[in-house]
Amino acid sequence: MNEFLTISFYGTAIVLMLIGLYAALAKKNLLKIVIGLSIIDSGLHLLFVAIGFISNGTAPIFSPEVLESAQQMVDPVPQALVLTAIVIGFATTAVALALVIRLYKHHNTAAIDEIKNLKW
Amino acid sequence: MVISPVHYIALPLMAAFLIPLFGKLNKDLARIIPGLVLLYLSYISVVLMNQIISSNTIIVEIIAGWRPPWGINLVFSPFTGFLASMFSMLGFVIWMYTYNFKPEVDNAQKQKFYVLFMMLITGATGIVLTGDIFNLFVFLEITAISAYSLTAFYRERDGAEAAFKYLLIGSFSSTLILLAILLLYTQVGTLNMAEIALKMPAVDPYMKGVILILFFVGFGIEAEMFPLNGWSPDVYTQAPGPIGAIFAGMVVKAGIYGLIRVVFTLFDVKEILPLLVIIGMITMAVAEVIALRQGKLKRMLAYSSIGQMGLVVVAFGIGTHESVFAAIFLMFNHAIIKGMLFLSGTYLVYNSTEKTLDDVDGIGKYLPFTSFLFALGSLAIVGMPPFAGFWSKLYLLMAAADVRLMAVIAIILVVSVIEIVYYFRVIHRIYFRERTSTIELKIPSFNAKSAMLILAIIIVAVGVYPDLISGLIERATTDLLDKQSYIQSVLSVGLK
Amino acid sequence: MNSLILLLILVFGGALLSYLLNKFLPILRDGFVVLLMLLVNYVFFTMDSATQIEFEIGGIHLQWAFSSAAFLFGIIVSILGLLSITYSTAYMQGKDRLGYFYMNFLFSIGSMLGILMSRDLISLFFFWEIMTWSSYLIVIYSGKDVDKRGLKYIVFSAIGAYSMLMAIVIIYGFTGSFLLTDIFDSIFAIKASYQLAIAILLMIGFGVKSAMMPLHVWASGAYSGSPMSFTALFSGALSKMGVFGFSLVLFNLVSNQNWLINEIIAWLAAITAVLATFYAVIQSDAKKLLAYSSIAQLGYIVIGLASGTYLGVMAGLFLAVLHAVFKGTLFMAVGAVEKQAGTTDMTKVSGLIRKMPWTFTASLISIIALAGIPPLGGFVGKWMLYEALITSDHYYLVIMVFLSSTAAFLYSYRILFGLFLGQEEPEFAHVKEAPLPMLIPMLLLSGISVLSGTFPGFILEPIQNAMVSFGFDPRLPNIEWWQLSVLFNSWGDKVVLQNVMISITAVFLIALTLITWKGYKKQRYVTTKDISSSGEIIQAEDNMTFQIDFYKPFERAIWPLLKRKIDDYYTDFGNGLEALFDLVKRIYNGNGQFYAIYVMAFLALLLIAGTKYFGF
Repeated sequence: MNEFLTISFYGTAIVLMLIGLYAALAKKNLLKIVIGLSIIDSGLHLLFVAIGFISNGTAPIFSPEVLESAQQMVDPVPQALVLTAIVIGFATTAVALALVIRLYKHHNTAAIDEIKNLKW
Repeated sequence: MVISPVHYIALPLMAAFLIPLFGKLNKDLARIIPGLVLLYLSYISVVLMNQIISSNTIIVEIIAGWRPPWGINLVFSPFTGFLASMFSMLGFVIWMYTYNFKPEVDNAQKQKFYVLFMMLITGATGIVLTGDIFNLFVFLEITAISAYSLTAFYRERDGAEAAFKYLLIGSFSSTLILLAILLLYTQVGTLNMAEIALKMPAVDPYMKGVILILFFVGFGIEAEMFPLNGWSPDVYTQAPGPIGAIFAGMVVKAGIYGLIRVVFTLFDVKEILPLLVIIGMITMAVAEVIALRQGKLKRMLAYSSIGQMGLVVVAFGIGTHESVFAAIFLMFNHAIIKGMLFLSGTYLVYNSTEKTLDDVDGIGKYLPFTSFLFALGSLAIVGMPPFAGFWSKLYLLMAAADVRLMAVIAIILVVSVIEIVYYFRVIHRIYFRERTSTIELKIPSFNAKSAMLILAIIIVAVGVYPDLISGLIERATTDLLDKQSYIQSVLSVGLK
Repeated sequence: MNSLILLLILVFGGALLSYLLNKFLPILRDGFVVLLMLLVNYVFFTMDSATQIEFEIGGIHLQWAFSSAAFLFGIIVSILGLLSITYSTAYMQGKDRLGYFYMNFLFSIGSMLGILMSRDLISLFFFWEIMTWSSYLIVIYSGKDVDKRGLKYIVFSAIGAYSMLMAIVIIYGFTGSFLLTDIFDSIFAIKASYQLAIAILLMIGFGVKSAMMPLHVWASGAYSGSPMSFTALFSGALSKMGVFGFSLVLFNLVSNQNWLINEIIAWLAAITAVLATFYAVIQSDAKKLLAYSSIAQLGYIVIGLASGTYLGVMAGLFLAVLHAVFKGTLFMAVGAVEKQAGTTDMTKVSGLIRKMPWTFTASLISIIALAGIPPLGGFVGKWMLYEALITSDHYYLVIMVFLSSTAAFLYSYRILFGLFLGQEEPEFAHVKEAPLPMLIPMLLLSGISVLSGTFPGFILEPIQNAMVSFGFDPRLPNIEWWQLSVLFNSWGDKVVLQNVMISITAVFLIALTLITWKGYKKQRYVTTKDISSSGEIIQAEDNMTFQIDFYKPFERAIWPLLKRKIDDYYTDFGNGLEALFDLVKRIYNGNGQFYAIYVMAFLALLLIAGTKYFGF
């Protein structure tokens, strides 16, 4: 059961990342690309959490009750990291969406292969 | 107030958030504060550098009382300190330049500009100073997000397009680095760089290779390596002129720093060094070749910048003490020279929308000071004596000759010929063509002139007397290559 | 203060000062530069020959001193520098950007002195590059056709400089030192293939500046395009830096067994001499003609050096000094014509002899020296060269040199005839003699030409000192310089057949007197109508001279040889490269998604290859 959970965590994370990658690399619409990027991010975040995951784990708080079962504590670091990463991903997505709006207004299209004023 | 490396991050970050508030009080205050902060940072740079050089120690600053390896720490060593000082001083000079840059831009816009400007400097300095790999990632993202926004700063240009490309590639970069950090954490169970370096030999070599490659590609994007640099020419072209100087002088340097720190300190894998050399050579050759065929001034400077970064990567890749010395010297030179080229080049094509090379025809007569500095910068960047660029190139060639890399020397020199051709072509145009374009010229303000002049004076001074800077660089080199003392000085603080 | 440093401070500081003076006190500028160069000459000639200085900069050990070879070239630089800058004060009158001009002029002089005094390769290269860019900035000064002419100069200079740099770092990589004295000792310990590579790279470096085939294509444009006052120095002194470098390489860095290099160099130089002479003959612009002639003369000099015998090297160095003297004069004279008449096109200008008699005299003397007619210096130099080549069994080279110096008569005559003789055109009636500051340097230099022919001793002595430093034994008789004359003593007999010399001179003098006397007697003034011309009445503006297509038959004869210029190959090569570069440019096709795909592809490639090749 534990192993199944772990594997499904990892598996979902990787599948998510691959889906995101596909969207970011193959879709022509700017919005879809941005969505792809944030799906990659989500997958990565899931991966982070999965690494810290312990089945039936407890919160990493030292208290008399859990002191004897310290091995059961979840690693707090990945969780801290993932929070930061989520915030950063959010900021990036916000900027990206703002840029998409600007681009759409400017070029009247959201297809990435038509926005090629800068090249060579 | 006790002088401490924390100020490098805390003060500009605070300033960034306070600027809008102060802007409400007095509209000039919002512009002056960044300057004051950067001036103070330049001052503490001098004090701190003096301190570590004279006492031969490294300052390890503990944040919030959490000792390494648990907490985040800042490391102010000769190498990181050198880069941080360079960033603050260059930042101050560029602030001087931007002070009266576009008077017609309204106040709210200016405040936004300075908020992002300060964030950018915070991020770049933070990358260099931090001793924690995840913290490094966070600073990288701060840099990146403010860089995206600054690229798209002008609405009337194609800034958004460039910024979007930057963001797309930048997201890949951050994903790869984050993934690498994650894998690294599963292997060594710590995020402190010193402790990672300590535990690295025990890691499974296959895993090590994968992590290193992820880092390599991730930082390679920021360091403008071929073929990861598709974003950079567009970004240089579309960002406001002084920001181009910051990209060349800080953002890319921070990317290179990340790469070097990972390769030299964290992993210390000699096998990747030939890859650095090869990729660096390709980057340089491709970029310079394209720069030769550019019709736009800023784009030409951008490709030239990429080429120079390739040269830096080659220098690091050779991996001997002499070549690393040359690499750090190159980084310094590139920061000041390319900075000055961007600053003066911006005024050469100030009002032009297309910013083509035709716009600079015969401009020498109308903007003598700016043109002269641009010409001086061109001579310096191609490595003509008696300017700063000459020495770094010479040291690099000497280092390459020491290890008998004759092919590398030959390619560098061939590429230098190409470089000479396109820079001198611009000088021709500036001085020896008749002006045909009718675009109104903009005379640089006094601040802008003095900012450019400061950089020019440094270029000539270092060129005539390289010992001004070579002592510091020598210390920085020793510091970068001495992994053991880095680990020791960071971890010993934790054990106290 | 050390006089070497003083010298550099004088020139480089003076350069900056002259720029500032032009900005704020333009009236003092001309006097200042002339005085400055006088001072430089004073310091240079009163310098103790043992003066030297050593210091370390950026961890590199440097050493400056004048060797006797360098001193020889230093004489050229400082005297020609003084004279050409004096000449400039009048020649450049009324042009704009004079501060820029004088600054770069002085920079070039200073950098040449720097090159000569460097006893280590880094300062040599350092000053070499300063010389390159400062001379380049003057080459493009006139602004005409800059994109082609200036670019060609800078590209070739860069190729030269960087191959030199490569040689320098290779030398450093093996010997661990940049000091010439260390290198001379240890160079022969390097593997032979690297030795050869070093020699070739250095040859390319110096060959560019001394306009050796096939690296000469920049020279005609650069020489003819810069202001003539600078070209005098450019062709006279700056190109000699290449010769100086050659002498270093040939006598100190190439082992004596390696005769093949000498042979190749000599042959390249001979081909250069012949082809350049042919090109000179077919030019109709006097400036271009002199430019090609300079290339040819540099060929002789290098042949002499490369022959490697005592007499050959002496001939080479003697010609080097002499070439600076007479070619300096000629460029100045042509400059004077350009200044006064407005053009140097030999199909347009004619009959200036009455208008500019002194300029004519100076050119006449220099032409005699150039063509190698006794009793002037060119004859002595060429005779020595022939003798050296014959005694060392280089018969084919002798033929080449003979061919080119015979053809040189053609252009020598043409420049005299084209500019000064022939019918006076009404168009040039207003022309006056050049002002004094231009005349004095020309006449002084032609004086030196005369002196060097009759009393070559005063040049040969420093040359012999230089040669001693190359490892030759002194062979000149130990007598005063004025005794060492081709006309009066046994040395002359040994080197130049005195009888030949005296008879040729006598014939020449007798013929001259006869012609003059006869011409004087028969002279009569006529109107333009007084001429039998099949009933046509000739107007004053009709051209009666035959300056257009002057050497048409000759040109037709040599044309197959010259049809395909080396220049064209370079142009084709350049165009091909540009097309290739444009292809490379397409990598950045503007689509952000492509760039992302590059990233992922690169990552995949590294992950696949990394495990395999980098041993992870």
